[in-house]
Amino acid sequence: MLRAASVSFAYGSHRVLDEVDVAIAPGALVGILGPNGSGKTTLITVLGGIARPARGEVTLDGTTLSRLSRVEIARRMAIVPQDTHLTFDYSVLEVALMGRYPHLSSFELEGPRDIEIARHALAATGTSDLEQRSFLSLSGGERQRVVIASALAQLADAEVLTPPPDGRGPSRVLLLDEPTASLDPAYQLEVADILRELSTRGHLTIAVCTHDLNFAAGLCRELVMLRDGRVIAAGPTDEVLTPETIRRLYGIDADVQRLAATGRLSVVPLRRVSAGPGA
Amino acid sequence: MTAHIRTVLAALAIGLCPVHPGLAQPPARIVSLVPAVTEMLFGIGAGELVVGVSSFDRHPPEVGALPRVGGLLDPDVERVMSLRPELVVVYATQQELRGQLTRAGIETFPYRHGSGLAAIAGTIRTLGALADRRDGAEALASRIEQRLAAVGARVGGRPRPRTLLVFDRQPSSLRGIYASGGVGFLHDMLETAGGLNVFADVDRESVQLNLETLISRAPDVIVELQITGDVGPEATSREAAAWSQLPTIPAVRDGRVYLLGGDAFVVPGPRIAEATERLARALHPEAFDDEP
Amino acid sequence: MTGSLGRRVAVVWLTFGALLLLIGAAAPLIGSTAIDLRRVFVATVPFDENVDAQIFFVARLPRVVAAAIVGGALAAAGVVFQALLRNPLATPFTLGVSAGASLGAMLALTFGTPVVVPGLSDSAVASFVGALGAVAIVYGLATARQRGFSTTVLLLAGVTLNSFFSALILFVQYLADFSQTFRTVRWLMGDLDVGGYRPILSALPFTLGAFAIFAWLPRPLNLLALGPDSAATRGVDVLRTQRLAFFSASLATGAAVSLGGPIGFVGIIIPHLVRLIVGADHRLVLPAATLFGAAFLIACDVVARTLLAPLELPVGVVTAVLGGPFFLWLLIRQR
Repeated sequence: MLRAASVSFAYGSHRVLDEVDVAIAPGALVGILGPNGSGKTTLITVLGGIARPARGEVTLDGTTLSRLSRVEIARRMAIVPQDTHLTFDYSVLEVALMGRYPHLSSFELEGPRDIEIARHALAATGTSDLEQRSFLSLSGGERQRVVIASALAQLADAEVLTPPPDGRGPSRVLLLDEPTASLDPAYQLEVADILRELSTRGHLTIAVCTHDLNFAAGLCRELVMLRDGRVIAAGPTDEVLTPETIRRLYGIDADVQRLAATGRLSVVPLRRVSAGPGA
Repeated sequence: MTAHIRTVLAALAIGLCPVHPGLAQPPARIVSLVPAVTEMLFGIGAGELVVGVSSFDRHPPEVGALPRVGGLLDPDVERVMSLRPELVVVYATQQELRGQLTRAGIETFPYRHGSGLAAIAGTIRTLGALADRRDGAEALASRIEQRLAAVGARVGGRPRPRTLLVFDRQPSSLRGIYASGGVGFLHDMLETAGGLNVFADVDRESVQLNLETLISRAPDVIVELQITGDVGPEATSREAAAWSQLPTIPAVRDGRVYLLGGDAFVVPGPRIAEATERLARALHPEAFDDEP
Repeated sequence: MTGSLGRRVAVVWLTFGALLLLIGAAAPLIGSTAIDLRRVFVATVPFDENVDAQIFFVARLPRVVAAAIVGGALAAAGVVFQALLRNPLATPFTLGVSAGASLGAMLALTFGTPVVVPGLSDSAVASFVGALGAVAIVYGLATARQRGFSTTVLLLAGVTLNSFFSALILFVQYLADFSQTFRTVRWLMGDLDVGGYRPILSALPFTLGAFAIFAWLPRPLNLLALGPDSAATRGVDVLRTQRLAFFSASLATGAAVSLGGPIGFVGIIIPHLVRLIVGADHRLVLPAATLFGAAFLIACDVVARTLLAPLELPVGVVTAVLGGPFFLWLLIRQR
C-alpha cells in the first residue's frame, strides 16, 4: 500500500500540493487526473520518494519513506518520467541495465542475472530486438518503452518477473508521469496494453498521471482527480468519471458514454464553461 | 627596474632609420618618450630643452622633476601637447601618435633601434645636429666609441668564454628563461665584451630555453641581467641557488654565474659603454686587474 | 561492444595502459640532444657530472611525468564535467577554474608574491590559490538560493566568472610592463618544463585525491546521463554525486593548471575520442580517457620540445593545432 497522508509541497511561496491524501492499494491501477499545473508531476515525485513533502508523510507498506534509504525505496518504486533526455550515446540494453543500480554495490559490475533481468524487461515491453541499438536513435514511443523496461528491471527481484502467486510480499510500484503525452495513438495503445499486462500478470502497483481523460478511462480502474494541488474526487473510475467531476476538474462540459466496443467509459469534450480555477 | 627590460624587448624589435625631420630651426622644447634618447639629450648638453619624459625614464636624476607623458603602449597625447613641444621623440612604431602630432603641427623624431652598438653613436650625432649641440654630441659619441674600443682592446686576444646572456626568468626558479639570440643589441654587447654567445647560431633576438637546451649548450659563463632588480647578496645567492639544479653546466660548476643589475644594460643610450665594460669585467676579470 | 563488462573493463585498462607505458618509456629517450642511454645509468660517474643522466633525469623525465599527470587529470576532469553538466561540449575550463588559476598566475608574474615557496615557482602556487578561489565562488553562487545544486546555475556562474576573470586578466596585463606581459602570455600557452620533481610532488596529493573520488563516480555518472530525477528514482544520491563530481574535477583541473598552465583541448578531445572507441559507459570512458590523455600529452610535449629545437614551442600550441581540426571534424560529423 502506498499512501500519502496530508501531503503538502511548495516551490517557494507557491503551494503545489495542499493536504493531499492518496491511498494506492497493492495491485491497483490508478489514474491521477488533472489539468496542467494541478501538481500531478509533483505528486508523483513525492509518492516516489525523490521529493520530500513540506508537511505530511508518504508511507510504503506502513513505513515512512523518510525512514527508508534511497536504495531501499528504489528497489520497490520506480518513476517513469514524461521524457528522457539521454546525454550520451548508451545502448538500449545499457539503459535497461541502469535500472539495476539499486541492486548492486558501489563497485559491483552487472552480472549475468542482471542482464537476464534486463532482457526479460525489454521483452515485456516488446523492445527485445532493439537491444543493441543506440537509445538516441529510437523513436519517442520506442524510447518510452525502453525506459519502462528500465523501470521494470529496477523493480525486479532475484526471481525475475515471476511474482509470488498470491500477490503478497512488498509492494512494487510503478509511477508514470504522462507516459503518452508525446506519443501517437498507436504507441498510446501499446503503452496502455503493456501497463494493463503488468498490472494483471506482473502484479505491479501502477499509478499513471495524465491529463488525457480517455487514456485514463480506458486503462485505469481507479481515478484520483487533482486540481490546484487538492484532491477533488477519488474512487473507482465508473463512479468518479462523471460530467460533474469533469466540469469541476477542467471547466468543460463533456459527454461520458460507455463504449460498446471496449466496455469502458469514453469522454467527449463539448465546450468550455468556466474561465479558470475556483469553480 | 624590470620596466627597462621592456625597453630592451621593444628596442630589439625595431630597426634603424636616422630620419632628419624638417625643422626650420633647432627646437626649444623637446618631449621624449624614449628613455635612451632622453639620456642622450642630456648627455649632449640639450637637457635644458627637455620639458617632458616617459613614465619609464630614470636617468639622469634631473628627469625626476619633469612631467610624465606615458610610454610605448600608453602615450598621453593630451599631456604631450599641453607641454607645447616643438619636437617629440617617439618610437617608430607609434604611428598613430605620430599622425596625431603631425596633424597638430608638431615635429616628431621616430626612434628605431639599430641592430648594433654603432647605431647608438649614430643616433647621438643625429640628435646633435637636430638640437644644435653638435659639439656635445660629437664628444659624447666619441667617448662612447673610444670606451667600447678600449674594452675590445682589453679583452682582445683572450679566449672567449661560451656565454649565456639571460635577460628574463621567473624568480627563484628556472622557468621561463629568455636569453639573447645571435641577433641584436645584447648579442653585440656580449661579443664586444669578449664573450661568445652560446646561441650565436640562432637567428633571433631572443630564445626561450628549456632545460635540455641549457644542459646541452653547457655555457662556461652565465650572465643574468636584472632579475628582480635587487642584486644584493641575499638575492644573488638565492638566484644562484636556482641554477644549482643543473650542476653539469660549467658555469654553475665553476661558480661563474653573475648577476648584473642596473638598467644601463637595457637602455641603449650613453651608459652602454659603461655597461659593456661591466659585462667584460665579469667575463674577463683578469683583463682589468690593473684597474680598480 | 559485446562481451561481458568485466572483460571490457580489463581490456580497456590493459590496452590504454600499454599505450601509456609505451609512450612514457619512449619519451625520455627522444629529445633535441643525442644522449647515450648506457651513460645515463652508469653508476661510476657521479650524477652531478653526468651530462647524459642530467638530461634524462632533470630535463626530460620530469616533463614526461608532469605531462602524464596533467594530461590524465585534464582528460578525466573533462569527462566528469561533461557528465556533471550533461553537456558534451563542456571542458575542464568551462566553470572558471582555469580563469581563476590564470588570474592568480598573472598577479604573481606581474606583482610578485608575498610568500616564496622554495622549489615552486610563484606562478604555480598563486595559480592553485586562484583556482581554489574560483571554485569557491562558483560553488557558492550555484548553491546560494536553493536547496541542492542546480547545474544550470552552476554553468551560468562558471561562464560569468570566466568572463569576469578574463576581464581582470586583461586589466592586469594592461598594468604590467612589457616583459611581465610577455611572461604572462607565455604562461597562458602552457609549459611542462618543470625542471625537477618538487612541483610534481606538490601537485600529486591533490591529483591523487581527485582520482580517489573519480574511482567512485562512473556508475552514478552513467545514471546522471538520464537526468537528475531519473537518476534519483533509481537510487542515486544525486546531490552527493554532483558535489563530488564538481569538487574532484575542479581539484584535478586546478592542480593540472598550476603544474603546466592552462593547456587546452586535452579536456575535450580525449573524452570524445575515447567515447568513439569504447562507448558511453563511464566505467570504461574514465580510465581510458585518463590513460589516453596522459599518453597524448606526453606525445604533444615531445613535439613541443623537439620540433623547433633549440626553440621551445608552447605545448598548448601543439594541442591546439592537433585539437582544433579534430574538434571541427567532430562537430561536422554530428548528425
